[in-house]
Amino acid sequence: MKETPDIRPITTAMLVAPAACLMFGVFVLPFAYLLVLSFWSQTPGSLRMDTNLTLANYTRIVGDSYYLGGLWTTLWLSAVVTLICLILALPLARWIVLHAGRAKGLLIGLSILPLVCGALLPTLGLVNLLSPLGFINGGLKAMGLIQTSLPLLGNITGVTIGLVQAFLPLMLLPLITTIERIPADYEKAAMSLGARRTVVWRRVLLPLMMPGIVAGSLLVFCASLTAFVTPQILGQGKVVTFASLAYQQAALVLDWPFASALAMVMLLFLLLACVLGALVMRRLGRTV
Amino acid sequence: MKRFACYAAVTAVSLFTCLPAFAQDYSGHTLVVGTWGGDIERLLREHVAGPLEASTGAKVEFLLGGSGDRLSKMVAERNNPTMDVTFQNIYEAPAALKDGLVMAPDASKVANAADVWPGMNDGCYAMSLVGLGIAYSKALFPQPPEWSELWNPEFKGKMAYAPYPSSEGDGMLAVAARIEGVNEHDPDVAFAKLAELGAPALTYSSLDEVLSLMDAGEIAAAPMISGYVISNLENYEGIGFAFPKDPGPVLVRDMVCQVANSPEPELAQMFINLALGVENQTAYAKELNFGPTNSKVVLTDEEAARVINTPEEVASLLQLDWPYVISQRSDWTDRWNKQILGQ
Repeated sequence: MKETPDIRPITTAMLVAPAACLMFGVFVLPFAYLLVLSFWSQTPGSLRMDTNLTLANYTRIVGDSYYLGGLWTTLWLSAVVTLICLILALPLARWIVLHAGRAKGLLIGLSILPLVCGALLPTLGLVNLLSPLGFINGGLKAMGLIQTSLPLLGNITGVTIGLVQAFLPLMLLPLITTIERIPADYEKAAMSLGARRTVVWRRVLLPLMMPGIVAGSLLVFCASLTAFVTPQILGQGKVVTFASLAYQQAALVLDWPFASALAMVMLLFLLLACVLGALVMRRLGRTV
Repeated sequence: MKRFACYAAVTAVSLFTCLPAFAQDYSGHTLVVGTWGGDIERLLREHVAGPLEASTGAKVEFLLGGSGDRLSKMVAERNNPTMDVTFQNIYEAPAALKDGLVMAPDASKVANAADVWPGMNDGCYAMSLVGLGIAYSKALFPQPPEWSELWNPEFKGKMAYAPYPSSEGDGMLAVAARIEGVNEHDPDVAFAKLAELGAPALTYSSLDEVLSLMDAGEIAAAPMISGYVISNLENYEGIGFAFPKDPGPVLVRDMVCQVANSPEPELAQMFINLALGVENQTAYAKELNFGPTNSKVVLTDEEAARVINTPEEVASLLQLDWPYVISQRSDWTDRWNKQILGQ
C-alpha cells in the first residue's frame, strides 16, 4: 500500500509552471534587465541611454567617498537597528510566550500591526510625534523642560526610531516561535543543578534561542538595508542611505544606469548578509 | 432661389468643415493625462476634462504624480506610449522635445496656442507662469526680504529646500551666483555662496510640513514657487511671500505637452486646447494664483497683483539657461548632496 499518491513528474511540472512563469516574468527578467542596465550609461544632455557596456557606474561608486559614506551609513544604521530590535524583542518575546496566557494571540496580533499597516502610515504618525511641533517636543515645552525643540527628525536618531518601530515584528515573530519550542524544564533543570540566572541565559537559553535570533536579525538587517520610505520621510533628505540615493538618481536625475548600479551594490550586500546568515544557521545546526 | 441654394450649400459646407474636431463621437476612447494632484487636477477636471467628455463621449483618465515620474514613464514607453498628455516643468519640456518624447507645439491643431504670449511655447505649450520667490517667517523678517538678507548669519541653518534636483534648487543656485556677480554658468561660485546658508533645517516633502514649521518660527525662510504658497497664505498668519527685486524672482513655467505617437492624438490636442483656453486659464489665476499664458485672459487689478501675467512682468523675471542647467543635472546633484546637504 502506497502512503503517498504517485505524482508523475509532468504533473509536478504543470503544477509548478504558473508560479515559475510568474516569478520569471515579474522577478527574474526585470532583475536581469536591471543588472544589464547597471553596465550602460546615460548619454550626456539626453534622456537616452548609451548601451555600450561600461564599468563607469561602479567605478563612480567605489571612487567617490560620498557614495561609500552612504553605503557605510546604511550598513551601520541597519546593524544598529538590528541590535536595538534584538534587545527589545528578546524579553518581550519571552514574556509573551511564558506569561501572556490568553492574551498571547492578541499581543502577537498587535505586535505585527506595523507590518500590515505598510510603511507610510506609521511613519507619518511618527512625524507628528517627533517633529519640532510634535507631541514629544510640544509636551516637553509645555512642561518647561526645554526652550527649543529637540532635533528628533532629519537625523540618525529619528530614522533609527522609525526603522525599529517598523521592523520590530520581524525580530519578534521568529523569537516567539523559537522560544515556544524550548521546554520549560530545561531552565528549571539548569537552576536545580546550581546554575545562576545569568549562566542559565548564557549557556542554556541563548544557545537554544539562537536560530530565532539569527533569523530575526537577518530579516531586520535586510529590511533596514533596503528601507526607503522611513529613511526618506524621517531623514528629511539629511540622512543618506543607499535606497534614497538610488531613488534620487532614478526618479529625479533620471540616470537609470547609475541608479541600477547603486541597487546592484545594495543587493550584493543583501546577498552577503543572507550567505552569512545561512552559514551561521548551518553551524548552529551542527552544534545545537 | 438658385443663388439662395448656392449660398446655403456653401454655408453648409463651410460649417461642416469648420466644426471643431470634438464634434466627432469618441465614445469608447480613453484619453490618459499625466498631471499633478490636488487643486490642479480638480481644476482640470472641472474646466477641461468635464467639457471634453461631454462634447466627445470620450473618457479622460488622470495619472497623478510628479513630473519626473511622467518623464520616466515617457522614456520607458518610448516605443509604445500609453499616456497622451503630460504636464512638465519648464526645464523638462525642451529636453523631452529634443529626445522625441513629445510633439512640437502646433497652433494649426491647437487653436488657443496662438493666443499664448509670443515666445513662451518652448518645447511644449506654455500652461502657467509662476516665479520663485521667498516664503518667510514674519516673526523673523519684519519686512518682505530681498535675497541677500537670507545670508544674514542669524538665519544660517534655518532654511528649508525642496528635494534636489528641482527648479527651486536650481533657481536658488542661480540667485546665489547673481548675488556674487556671476550667473549659473559659474557653479563653483554658486555652490560656495549657497553653502554659506548652512545645511537646510528641512528638505520638505509637503507644503504643509514646511509652512507649519515656518509659521512657528522654526524655519526662517524657503525659496518657493508662487501660486500654491500664495493660495495657502490665508491659513498661516505668520508667513509672508516676497517677490524680491535684486535679482528678481526666477521664472518658472509649467508646460503641457502632447506625447509623441500617443494612442489618442486628436483628443490630446482638444484637451490641450481647452487647457489653454480662457476659461481654464482664468480659473488657474483666480483659484491657484498661477499666471495665465493666454493673452486674452482678463483679471481684476487685485487678481493681477498676485500673479505674473504679462510679457513685461515675465521680462523682469530672472530667466535661467535651462538647457545648460539640465546638462549639469547629474554633477550638480552630487555637489548639492555634498556641499549643501552634507555640511
